[in-house]
Amino acid sequence: MSGEEEENAAELKIGEEFLKAKCLMNCEVAIILEHKYEQIQQHSSESDPSSQVSQVFEKSLQYVKRFSRYKNPDAVRQVRETLSRYGLAEFELCTLGNLCPDTSGEATALVPSLKSGGRFVGDARDEKIEKMLNDLSLIKKFE
Amino acid sequence: MFFHIVLERNMQLHPRHFGPHLRDKLVSKLIKDVEGTCSGRHGFVVAITGVEDIGKGLIREGTGYVTFPVKYQCVVFRPFKGEILEAVVTMVNKMGFFAEAGPVQIFVSNHLIPDDMEFQSGDVPNYTTSDGSVKIQKESEVRLKIIGTRVDATEIFCIGTIKDDFLGVISDPGAAV
Repeated sequence: MSGEEEENAAELKIGEEFLKAKCLMNCEVAIILEHKYEQIQQHSSESDPSSQVSQVFEKSLQYVKRFSRYKNPDAVRQVRETLSRYGLAEFELCTLGNLCPDTSGEATALVPSLKSGGRFVGDARDEKIEKMLNDLSLIKKFE
Repeated sequence: MFFHIVLERNMQLHPRHFGPHLRDKLVSKLIKDVEGTCSGRHGFVVAITGVEDIGKGLIREGTGYVTFPVKYQCVVFRPFKGEILEAVVTMVNKMGFFAEAGPVQIFVSNHLIPDDMEFQSGDVPNYTTSDGSVKIQKESEVRLKIIGTRVDATEIFCIGTIKDDFLGVISDPGAAV
């Protein structure tokens, strides 16, 4: 990359701009894009080529539909609410929401930055992460 | 990762569009110009979700075109080094395999596939463990880590690895049948 400090998502080095920005989980993107896709379909007349969606849009929509853990909009809201109680950065929150790890070992392997920042420290660390993952799987179960 | 961010762009509009529908014209031109594009800094612009603000237009001398600064919200997809995500395998060969995560292409070289997985050629080229329990072929879903990105004028290309804990196949199409 250009002269800036090298990026590394594992240490949350994703640049000031994206660190402050709102991250979206795949399931949230699915809701937004599906809504937008319906709108486009309604307004489009078949003769109008400008109403076609871009390839980037189409590929993204397919991708998020395939990899959404939660389908129901209420569940999606709950996931964000639950995870935000644990003082996670946006990027961490969305990685966990997308990948839904089963154990605290898996969670810290996938999101190494969980171990820094003093949010999950000491002996209770794994327990606390475990509890967070448990909360997540409950939402999935009752969806 | 997908982000919802606010971007700004200077839009030039021909004077023939000036009138009661100026704003509509500006927004539809913005969507046409921006959606589907890619920049190294912000990644792929997937969809514009709203226009925050349209500033005062400035007439450009000599042409009559007017430049409007437009602030808009959009969903972007920006891959980061070190990010872990799920992707669909699109092509397998002896060099490694290609996978797709939304608009972005990711290549995983055979050096970054676990050593116990061997390439098998044939009708459906794949990587398989010696006991045959795990298989990577077209349409497999894998979880991978991005270890490098290359930015082109119009595309971002990534290099990934599945040689780490908790990475690898999450579902293979053969098993699902």
